[in-house]
Amino acid sequence: MDSDILQYLAAAAVAVGTFFSLVGVLGFIRLPDVYTRLHATGKVGVFGVVFLLIAAVIHTPLGWGKGLFLVFFLLVTGAVTAHALASAAYHLGLPMKGEMEGDRDVDPAGPEVSAAVDPPPYNREP
Amino acid sequence: MTPVFDIILYISLLIHVILMGIALRHLWGGENVVDRLIGFDLLGTLTLAVLVLVSLIYRQSVYIDVALALAVLSFVGSVALAKYLADDKMF
Repeated sequence: MDSDILQYLAAAAVAVGTFFSLVGVLGFIRLPDVYTRLHATGKVGVFGVVFLLIAAVIHTPLGWGKGLFLVFFLLVTGAVTAHALASAAYHLGLPMKGEMEGDRDVDPAGPEVSAAVDPPPYNREP
Repeated sequence: MTPVFDIILYISLLIHVILMGIALRHLWGGENVVDRLIGFDLLGTLTLAVLVLVSLIYRQSVYIDVALALAVLSFVGSVALAKYLADDKMF
């Protein structure tokens, strides 16, 4: 009886994780922009694999420590990888959809060039 | 309950393999370099999901170790390539 309940829980966790993976890859196909695509694929790493790992911890003869360490590792590295990729895209100057004048406060060449081209008001010659 | 659970696991495995094909297609022909790099990262994450599903199907915890090593290597590869693209140097 108890293992039946655990099996229902594992089946629900597998279904939810598959749903999140499907939604993330659908967003990766459909969204128009590098940054929004990055936002969509973060869901696969953080929600999809974590729910599958919860099902694995419930259902397989696995120690709680290893599975929960992998969950913690995925939660940390998903954020770090998404930040690194978005920072790389921003430094390369990749286009945003619906970008307006002044959305980028820093030129792709670096903040020094931007400050040299347009000095701030307190630094301007009279 | 058990055959139903196995059917759910196999359907989920099939869906994840199809999603891996989509990620591989974007890795092959993405719009720009960061798009292809996102495809690479997504391919690693979906391989992780497939390994966890194989561990669920065979009821063995050995594949979780493989998934752990793959997670570490995929993370280091993605961060190193992104930093190389952003700064034109690796370290």
